[in-house]
Amino acid sequence: MEAAWQEGLFFVFATVITVSAIGVVTARNVIHAALFLVATLIGAACIYILMFAEFVAWAQVLVYVGAIVVLMLFGLMLTRAPIGKYGEYDNDQKGLAAIVAAAVFGVTAWVLIDSFEGVELPTDRVAATTSKDVGEAIFSSYVLPFELVSVLLLAALVGAVVIARRDERVTSRTIDAARREKAREEDV
Amino acid sequence: MPLSYVLVLAALLFSIGVYGVLARQHAVLVLLSIELMLNAVNINLIAFSAWLQDTGVPGQVFALFIIAVAAAEVGVGLALVILIYRNRRNVDVEGLSLMKW
Amino acid sequence: MNLPPIDWHAIAPELVLTAAACLVLVVDLFLPDEAKWIAMPLSAAGLFGTLAAVVSLLGAERVTLAGSFEVNDFALLFKALFCVIGLIILALSLDYFRDGRYHQGEFYFLLLCALLGGVVMASARDLISIFIAIETISIPGIVMAALRKGDVRSNEGSLKFFLFSVLSSALMLYGMSLIYGVTGSTNVDEINQVLPQQHEGLVAVSVFFVVIGFAFKVSAVPFHFWAPDTYEGSPPPVAAFLASASKIGGFVGLLVLMFRAFPAVAEQWRPAFAVLAALTMTVGNLIALRQQHIIRLLAYSGVAQSGYMLVGFALIGANADTNSQAFKATVIYIVIYGLMDLGAFAAAISFARRGGTYFISDYSGLWNRSPALAGLMAAFLLSLAGVPPLAGAWAKLFVFLASIEAQVYWLAVVMGVNAVIAAWYYLAVVKRMFFDVPEVSEPIETPYLLRAAMGLAVLALVASFVYPRLVTDLADRSVLESRGADVELSSP
Repeated sequence: MEAAWQEGLFFVFATVITVSAIGVVTARNVIHAALFLVATLIGAACIYILMFAEFVAWAQVLVYVGAIVVLMLFGLMLTRAPIGKYGEYDNDQKGLAAIVAAAVFGVTAWVLIDSFEGVELPTDRVAATTSKDVGEAIFSSYVLPFELVSVLLLAALVGAVVIARRDERVTSRTIDAARREKAREEDV
Repeated sequence: MPLSYVLVLAALLFSIGVYGVLARQHAVLVLLSIELMLNAVNINLIAFSAWLQDTGVPGQVFALFIIAVAAAEVGVGLALVILIYRNRRNVDVEGLSLMKW
Repeated sequence: MNLPPIDWHAIAPELVLTAAACLVLVVDLFLPDEAKWIAMPLSAAGLFGTLAAVVSLLGAERVTLAGSFEVNDFALLFKALFCVIGLIILALSLDYFRDGRYHQGEFYFLLLCALLGGVVMASARDLISIFIAIETISIPGIVMAALRKGDVRSNEGSLKFFLFSVLSSALMLYGMSLIYGVTGSTNVDEINQVLPQQHEGLVAVSVFFVVIGFAFKVSAVPFHFWAPDTYEGSPPPVAAFLASASKIGGFVGLLVLMFRAFPAVAEQWRPAFAVLAALTMTVGNLIALRQQHIIRLLAYSGVAQSGYMLVGFALIGANADTNSQAFKATVIYIVIYGLMDLGAFAAAISFARRGGTYFISDYSGLWNRSPALAGLMAAFLLSLAGVPPLAGAWAKLFVFLASIEAQVYWLAVVMGVNAVIAAWYYLAVVKRMFFDVPEVSEPIETPYLLRAAMGLAVLALVASFVYPRLVTDLADRSVLESRGADVELSSP
């Protein structure tokens, strides 16, 4: 891929990402915010492809866009988020938040530009970055974190079900009362 | 293409996420902003991996693990949101912002 | 494709614990409601098995999986600590969860998963492993904190906890990504070798983000205010878990990163950590003075204790000897803190279980109602305050001496002042228990299991005071973990 193409495509994707990200944090409609996030995520996936990380790009589309955002949309719908109506979604600290965000960007960007001056990205795939290589890396050097992530996902799955599931009409107050009752019975 | 372009993009995305976390009131919107930050991290990692061209592609592997962990977090987070909604009928997080003591 | 050989013995503790967790989950499927408490002894057996595996590795020095997983005395010490903490929390939770009919099997499964994260964290020497380990501690912790599903305040507390947790992970990851980019590696030793020669500003920014991420996990000020609401809202055994295992997991990660990956650049960070430590101690203690609820008191006191543990990080410098001393002092404090804080929670939970409440005013005259419980609670509070003859005194003393040795005198002074302020509220509770008139006079019977666990903990604290070599030996051996500024020592 020629350098000009690479840079041109990068700017297109960068614009998409930036505009959508701003949409996420300023949208007045919750569903719109989630959809802007989809655009950001797909833009990011395109950037990964530009940088020869195809497997990560597809994983991003499948997992982030396909599962995470869908889950968020379900959550928003199940909690009857006002769709098509303005809600009050911003708190009073917008000004302060903008200042902090600008400060973070300013410092970080300056430091990054300063330290990586003149460093260029390769225009062609030079190193081994195909899916095969990623797979080999995961299953040889990183197999322990990989297995730990599977335990983590299992725990998150079980945990999410436990939290979201509707139990019998049992509240903490009734439970504490029941416990005290039982304790009193045992003492007598 | 200079590496710094990509890094600055990631920094921009990260800062936009920081703004979202501080300024938004609805729990799911705060979560969306955090996802922006995590994507900024991923862009950083992939960009560095492409530049460093190191064997074993730790950057890409790291990015994949971050995607997996983000999925777990969102699952748990939305379960919490549903629970709160069931008990309280709204999901505002007034006291969340970092500025409040 | 060539699979590298896997050192099964080195990962034996993790394997046993994973198997136990999965077994608990599966068994829970087949247990009827009344019998669900069986998951607890099963989990305890799993933890004992993990401890056995840890003991079988004693004295080993193994590095596996491309240097990302290391078993040495430091790692084994903390693996054992997590197992012991797990056992005590199991003792705490049996009655609580059985009576409330709360999701028992799932709770024990989540607890074991979280402890698995801690056990892996003790051995993780690679940014990726550290990140995943800390998430494995946090996410089950979030779920456990939300288990009081009917209580709206608890729900809010756990939602806040969740959002802060994910935010801090994002910050930490951003810093880690920059460190990876700048050094080209995710392994802590390789990072240590390359980091000092990189662009100073970038190094500072990346370490800053990583430290902020961890500062949340260890409830340092100003990232601490999730703690009191979350502790108060979660089931008390879970609050005990968050205050001990979760916090210790964060500290282990911070220890590995600051002392092993960043010591050469830590000199830049001394003032920042010193301010962080001083602020955390002071704010924690000052707010604790006004608390009426024992769990909130313990939460803020825990924040202050985090401050004492952060002092060690403010002492890293060019001198390898002071680094080792700071490292040792921090390790000793963490181990002793785990025991004494957990003991205090255990006593509070025992009190509340049998007719008491969580309000400090109800502790009046506890000495008359239940001398054993009052004595145990007093022992833990005195240890937290740093009063002899309990090990908490040594813990504070070692940190104090380390800061004098590193010539950060003002921090030592701040620590001393804070110890006095803290003693005020700890002793206030003790005085209330022993010298105030009880409002109710029915005696309180402490469950046998809890009494045994707390008694052992107090015994350990007294023994460590009388014979401090017990703990300092462990710390001495784990000091190999730290590296001074002598970068040449790091081996590939």
